[in-house]
Amino acid sequence: MSEMWINMGPQHPMTHGLWNLRVKVDGELVVDCEPELGYLHRGIEKISEYRRYNEVITLMDRCCYVAGLSWEHVYLMASEEALGVSVPPRAEYLRVMCSELQRLASHLMWYAAFVQDLGLMTPFLYGMRDRDLILDLLQSFTGARMTYEYMRVGGVRNDIPVGFTDRCRKVMDWLEARFREYEDLCDKSDIFLKRTVGIGVLKARECIADGVTGPMLRSAGVPRDIRKDRPYSVYEEIDFDIALHDGADVFGRYRVRMEEMRQSLRIVRQTLDYLDRSPGRVLSERIPRFVGAPSPPPGSESYILRRAYPKGVGFSAIEEPHGEALAYVVNEGAEQPYRVKFRSPVLINISAVKDYLIGYRVSDIPAIMGSVDVCVGECDR
Amino acid sequence: MVTALPPNTLAETPDLLAVLRERFPQDVLETTRRPGLLGRVVLRPEAILPVCRYLRDEQTFAHCAMVGGVDWKETREVVYHLWSDERKGYLELSLRVPAEDPHVESVAGLWPGANWHEREAWDLLGIRFDHHPDLRRLFLPEGYEFHPLLKTFELHEPEPLEVKTRHE
Repeated sequence: MSEMWINMGPQHPMTHGLWNLRVKVDGELVVDCEPELGYLHRGIEKISEYRRYNEVITLMDRCCYVAGLSWEHVYLMASEEALGVSVPPRAEYLRVMCSELQRLASHLMWYAAFVQDLGLMTPFLYGMRDRDLILDLLQSFTGARMTYEYMRVGGVRNDIPVGFTDRCRKVMDWLEARFREYEDLCDKSDIFLKRTVGIGVLKARECIADGVTGPMLRSAGVPRDIRKDRPYSVYEEIDFDIALHDGADVFGRYRVRMEEMRQSLRIVRQTLDYLDRSPGRVLSERIPRFVGAPSPPPGSESYILRRAYPKGVGFSAIEEPHGEALAYVVNEGAEQPYRVKFRSPVLINISAVKDYLIGYRVSDIPAIMGSVDVCVGECDR
Repeated sequence: MVTALPPNTLAETPDLLAVLRERFPQDVLETTRRPGLLGRVVLRPEAILPVCRYLRDEQTFAHCAMVGGVDWKETREVVYHLWSDERKGYLELSLRVPAEDPHVESVAGLWPGANWHEREAWDLLGIRFDHHPDLRRLFLPEGYEFHPLLKTFELHEPEPLEVKTRHE
């Protein structure tokens, strides 16, 4: 049969964003593919070189629109190392709580979109409904539902309101009961199993060579999780397990994410216990003035008093909902970072697409690409 | 509180750096210990491929986590971050190439995962990676003449809006 190229994207229900997957098909069979990116490239790394350290946080929320707080976290850890700023413990716990609430929101969003791609409408509504509860929680102390701008160099902007921990615990209990319902809907659905088991296989050896990280890697049985292997923030003091599966297929990735959500509930509960019993500062006392405030006019008193800050380089790694996110910040003593570089886990997971797409059928593409959890915002930056 | 460091990385750090210095005495220009990393190694640009092959095959660095670049005006720095599951830490490799002819050997043959990192560095910073399997631009269109992360590519800020109040 004759082969032909098909464009799936830039506007296609499968893409969940703005990118183009060109696939070469032979009948129903995928024989080659070629991802094209850049439709959402906004030059975030370039713009960051023209913004003060705290002003870059605004860009981080736009980096990934379902996991803005995780990106704020990775950027700030690198910046704080570059600037030599330390973070009070309560702020670290608040950051971990934010990251895990964000992971729940991101995975619920993924669950809703992915299962809908497979033709099951009910889980979509369930997932979106329950994600809203988390957005309500985040809104109650950040003031926003998607673009939070909550963390700051040296801590977080404000503390949580009175009664927040109880409300949060209620939501966690509600979600725990819901997860059983989600699993009943999917694990017992013949349609779901037929479209996920044994599809889009990427074995551990290929995952490691291709640089694939996150739930995709753990679904192949590799227990790599930055939160455990190289504990940052306060993850060392928190008890949780790495979610693993040995299927290495679409179903395995779904199982890993469901288990990760349960582990996130555990982590959030532990951070809430800490926040209840240990009040304290949420923003460090020793922060260089220039990180966020506009420059005073030349000649004014504070302009003269402003000392140049020591130079430094910062590097940080976190386990983002999609995988391993890295940040590399170079501080040359100016008000703005000299260079900011990010590693987007989704970009690299997509770069291995030939290894898990070729040989499957066109009808499998939404299932496989859905299981990658593509977020083009952080991919193109 | 400073970000907690894993205890095992610091214990192993001098070991790995000393081994590298001994194995590649001419190629390793400088080694430094940095908190949060297994170490930072500055290399001669010509040595990147043998050092990386050694690190991958004999020192368990199976995952090339990130390849990025920094424009230092006269030179361009290429920074590699490698991850080892056994050592549970990142090793930073750094090398400098002249800005007139910035090119370095590609490591995409060792780690296929480095392929798009190098394409991104070429696209945004104009660093050429020799023997790369597919060195095309990643985000910007083919034929675009700039590499926007260079310091010579200036960002023009929009003029600040003059807001006039009624009483002015």
